[in-house]
Amino acid sequence: MQKEIIVASSLCVRFNNQTVLDDVSFKVHEGEVFALLGGNGAGKSTTLKTFLGTVLPVSGNASILDMSVTDEIDSIRRKVAYLPESVTLYGHLSGIENIEYFLSLAQITCSTKAIEEALKRVALQENAWHRAMSNYSKGMRQKVAIALALLRNAPVLFLDEPTSGLDPNAIDEFNQLIATLAAEGTTVFMVTHDVYGACQIAHRIGLLDNGKIVGMFERGESSHIDTESVHSAFSARNKR
Amino acid sequence: MKFFSNITREARFLFKQKYLVGILTAVFALSLFSVWSGLSEMQTQSSTIERLKEKDRVDRENVLAKQSGYGSAAYYAFHLTYSEPSNLAFAAIGQRDVFPWKHRIRMLAIEGQIYETDADNPELSFLGRFDFAFLVSVLLPLFVILLLHDLRSSEREAGRYDLLITTAVKQKYLWLTRAFVLSASLALVLLVPFVIGAVISNASFVGTSLIVLVVFAHIVFWTLLIVWYTSNKMALKQNSTQVASALLSVWLMVSVLIPATTDVAIDKMVTSPNGGDILLVQREAVNDAWDLPDSVTWDAFLATHPQWKNYTDMGLTFEWKWYYAFQQVGDQKASELSEKYRQATLEKDTLASRLALLSPPMLTQRLMSSLAETDTQAAMQYEQNIRAYHNSLRHFYYPLMFTRAEFSLDKMSELPDFSQFSKK
Repeated sequence: MQKEIIVASSLCVRFNNQTVLDDVSFKVHEGEVFALLGGNGAGKSTTLKTFLGTVLPVSGNASILDMSVTDEIDSIRRKVAYLPESVTLYGHLSGIENIEYFLSLAQITCSTKAIEEALKRVALQENAWHRAMSNYSKGMRQKVAIALALLRNAPVLFLDEPTSGLDPNAIDEFNQLIATLAAEGTTVFMVTHDVYGACQIAHRIGLLDNGKIVGMFERGESSHIDTESVHSAFSARNKR
Repeated sequence: MKFFSNITREARFLFKQKYLVGILTAVFALSLFSVWSGLSEMQTQSSTIERLKEKDRVDRENVLAKQSGYGSAAYYAFHLTYSEPSNLAFAAIGQRDVFPWKHRIRMLAIEGQIYETDADNPELSFLGRFDFAFLVSVLLPLFVILLLHDLRSSEREAGRYDLLITTAVKQKYLWLTRAFVLSASLALVLLVPFVIGAVISNASFVGTSLIVLVVFAHIVFWTLLIVWYTSNKMALKQNSTQVASALLSVWLMVSVLIPATTDVAIDKMVTSPNGGDILLVQREAVNDAWDLPDSVTWDAFLATHPQWKNYTDMGLTFEWKWYYAFQQVGDQKASELSEKYRQATLEKDTLASRLALLSPPMLTQRLMSSLAETDTQAAMQYEQNIRAYHNSLRHFYYPLMFTRAEFSLDKMSELPDFSQFSKK
């Protein structure tokens, strides 16, 4: 029985008396890649923010590694790495300086060699390492943020639309990296509206619509989730 | 240790941002200018006093050499009085722009002589001088706002906020450390020129430290206000412009509206005669004396100086002792008004001290002026020093005039010296 790392139990979130998440429940196991799929306004980002502790649920519970986000958010943040949709690090610092700064915020000491190893692993070209990040492309910024997540050595990784705006090669590299991390035991939770991407990378997909989980898809014995069935369910919801 | 490593990290991070270095350099330049300008002004005032002291001595010696009696000697001899700037006055010029700091007086009625001089430059007094106290009390809050208003909002606008707070072990410490580094840097660039100025001016360690403490307290007030405001729920939804506008409104209220309103309110609450009224009453009393019978002057004079009741004989139509007696009577008639003026000024000052609690910039300026001895109390003290000195002149001349002593230049060398009455 695999360990439950991320658990949502009857999560309800309201903004200005409007229900954004309604009785959302799911579990993500150790080493699993879980994708929460949904259209605009479905509640994906709110679910993610609830686990990051920036949005508080009105009822229900969200926990990571058996720690409740409402009570132990500081302890949770030491175990979690977050990759935002649009990675904007500090433009006046280089890639290496940004990583050093954010690691220092997380109170993690890392040698320059380890940082360089991580940048090699995410395939960021070496001549960019010491350049100011204001000159980086979106894909390059994404790679720095992934390197940061790797160096944090966090057992749980939260990804917000991770492949949005990346070129096909970068998406392939990214998917391979996530698969490797999951194989090494990292639990990955991602929110996306990219049906194809989610099917390629995730072990399980939760379909979110109007604040409710309306479907759950699994890989089973296959190497990836059947894109057709997920797409049909997703389109049917979006056409309503 | 974590505290220091956090400070080092944020300092390294922040000082790589050119615009921050630019702002801090500008504040350093302004501080340097304000200190230099204060030191120059105080140097000018000190050297003016020294130059006038020498000219005053030479002028008096020349005048006295031509005299044959104490009455005319007292009439023609001028005496320089002055209020020397304290060693910290360069930092807060304060009331030295409003109240005169030098007078040349004679043995004539004193009240009119005190109030006939106006400030050297009334337009400048109205606008306020750009000194270190002005920089600290009025402009400093603007720099704190400029540096700290977008502490969180700039990160939100750049899309880094969530990443930052999910990465930082304690997000509260991140904002506090950044605010601390920025405020401490601001304090440093402000205070370095001031401390150099204090050393050049030979100011006391205690006085210098107290002004440093006042500057720190003012920075801490604005830093805490901004940190508190930017962390409340309402501000978390505002963009940087909205946050800056809200904070600038607070600055406008406490730096401009409250001081201006309290100024008007105090003027309404405390009625005060003006210097011109005192001058008029005293001059009318003196001028009237020429037309009144001598006995009117003598009765009024002897009421306060009974020791001279046997010396009021008038051998000639004009006697110097009678002339100085009606000058004295002129002062006596103006004394009630003069006392009211002093009391009203001090009452206004006390009220302003209390109302300054509503305005940290006003409070800062008042504390700095008080420490630099350039406040209203110091100006009033100078006026009292002039009166005490003038009184000593009367004590010197009256026995000589009333007893019709023979004029001697040697005796004139015993004239009281104002330096014994001046309080540095």
